[in-house]
Amino acid sequence: MRWEEVSALVDDRVTDGWFSVHRRAFTDAAIFDLEMRHIFEGGWVFLGMASQVPNPHDYLTTTVGRVPIVVMRDGEGKLDAFVNACTHKGALICHKRTGSGRLHVCRYHSWSFDSAGQSVGVKGLRDGAYSDAFMQTDRNLSRLPAFADYRGFLFGSLVPTCPIEEHLGEARHLLDVAADQGEDGLELVPGEVVFTYDGNWKMQLENCADAYHFTSTHPSYLQLIEKRRREEKKNVVKSVWGENSAWSEMTEGITGGTYGFDQGHVLNWQVIPLSDTVPLAERAELLAERYGAARRDWMVNMRNMTIFPNLQVAENASSQLRIIRPLSAGKTEMRTFCIAPKGESDGARRMRIRNYEDFFNPTGMATPDDTVCYADCQDGHANALQPWILGYARGMESVQDGPDQFADVLGMKPDRSQPCGSQLCDETLFHSYYRAWLSRLKVGMERSA
Amino acid sequence: MIGRDEVHDLLAREALCLDRRDWDGWLSLYTDDCSYWMPAWRDEENPTDNPDRELSLIWYQGKHNLEDRVWRVKSGLSIASVPMLRTAHQVSAILIEGPDTVSASFACHVHNVKRRTDHCFFGRYEYRLVHEGDALKIAAKKILLMNDNIPTVADFYML
Ligand code: FES
Ligand SMILES: [Fe+2]
Repeated sequence: MRWEEVSALVDDRVTDGWFSVHRRAFTDAAIFDLEMRHIFEGGWVFLGMASQVPNPHDYLTTTVGRVPIVVMRDGEGKLDAFVNACTHKGALICHKRTGSGRLHVCRYHSWSFDSAGQSVGVKGLRDGAYSDAFMQTDRNLSRLPAFADYRGFLFGSLVPTCPIEEHLGEARHLLDVAADQGEDGLELVPGEVVFTYDGNWKMQLENCADAYHFTSTHPSYLQLIEKRRREEKKNVVKSVWGENSAWSEMTEGITGGTYGFDQGHVLNWQVIPLSDTVPLAERAELLAERYGAARRDWMVNMRNMTIFPNLQVAENASSQLRIIRPLSAGKTEMRTFCIAPKGESDGARRMRIRNYEDFFNPTGMATPDDTVCYADCQDGHANALQPWILGYARGMESVQDGPDQFADVLGMKPDRSQPCGSQLCDETLFHSYYRAWLSRLKVGMERSA
Repeated sequence: MIGRDEVHDLLAREALCLDRRDWDGWLSLYTDDCSYWMPAWRDEENPTDNPDRELSLIWYQGKHNLEDRVWRVKSGLSIASVPMLRTAHQVSAILIEGPDTVSASFACHVHNVKRRTDHCFFGRYEYRLVHEGDALKIAAKKILLMNDNIPTVADFYML
């Protein structure tokens, strides 16, 4: 596929009041292949959390695009990322989601590797009648050309690329706000939940930042928490959505907004007042002392953050970390975790977990209503009679360049801001996704040309 | 003591109620203060075990929480529940393990009418049962879902 065909899928003419993405970007297998090569396997992606590998010799496994990856901590405690494949014939080296081992012996022919990825043994080396050419060949695990730990969030790239600070850019402030909540950063609550949906990965990218769908898609959840609030039975989950109405049309003034960043990261946020439904409430005073009340309030606010292309941290009814793993143009795997400040009390943790289960789980009362819509859209993207999606238009006339006064609180300089009331439900933040999408495809296609 | 016949009847009735969407019948099988728990998996081998510090797929205490779930699928307001998926529960290897505890193996075949796809959730049930008057009721149910890679949705009636 030529670059001209790819770039033609995003019609970016905001000065004319127009932005659209062609449905083919969601359905075409050739586009999917380019996305795998140049976005997922061609630049920074999220790998996991440092808290998953706390001790020397710990590892976690994941996938970058189609490539199996292992992140290991060596004997000195230094983290690094490798392709999780034996350099002999390619058998996987580490087999569990998370595990530990000083020495990893390949199960196929017993080549062995240490936790720094170094080859330490080839079975029968002396009797192997190997050539000099073989003996001089590097047998170490393939190290990722770029790897970084930013505040406990681990990123890697299968190609040499910019420093992580450049990739995160101003969105790093959002990771800081998340990480500063805990005494010692964040951790994943035990219990990973994996589900798939029958739709393109970019549906998830958009939905996380989509305020417009909330009242349409989730009335069963919203009515239920309202009912629970009225009835005040014991042993029911109290949800922050019951106390807060930033999404309601009854609420006036600025209730939240959106930010977009050049690298494709976005934030959709809403004001959430402190109440006993906020797990962080127990630390509210301490955090205000340490960071100031304004920054503390940002920690309590709803923040649905996407770090392009595959990490989302949604802090709203509870707090979820999602790793988006595209399987094909029409199928996506979601690996999901409850993410929480380390050192949280039992009561706060329990409230966080209960809200998580009800809202975020595929066995809960909100997420399946989203993912079924993604599959519906995926079907509808077959519409060649109306190939241009009309979902990038809300907020076009009110979006502003640069930061707003709320970003200033964090010292954050997003490329664009949309402070707004409850009913604007900005869609222009998605523009940032597709600009980064195109730019990563372009860099990759030029590199491989 | 719980008897073999009443245990078999109860488990078959629960399966039947779910498959027939006889929600009132299903709810009537539970005690008011019942617990209903489907742990998540901590790692390859072990389900989560402490619902206060670890994630569950579903964790409720009290029948009113189950009533809420029933309300949601009946409400017509849940996109994932319209149309509802068709189910056929199979419960087997029913064994009375203790004075009030029963284990069983389950498979639930699920047909997604709209997308014309099929899936089968399977695993194990663990029950704690009590007599309320003459009736045997479910005081606690734990569902150990073996294939926890979930295609879009796994609602309570599919498990
Ligand atoms: S594939 Fe690993 S030793 Fe042969
Ligand atoms: Fe949603």
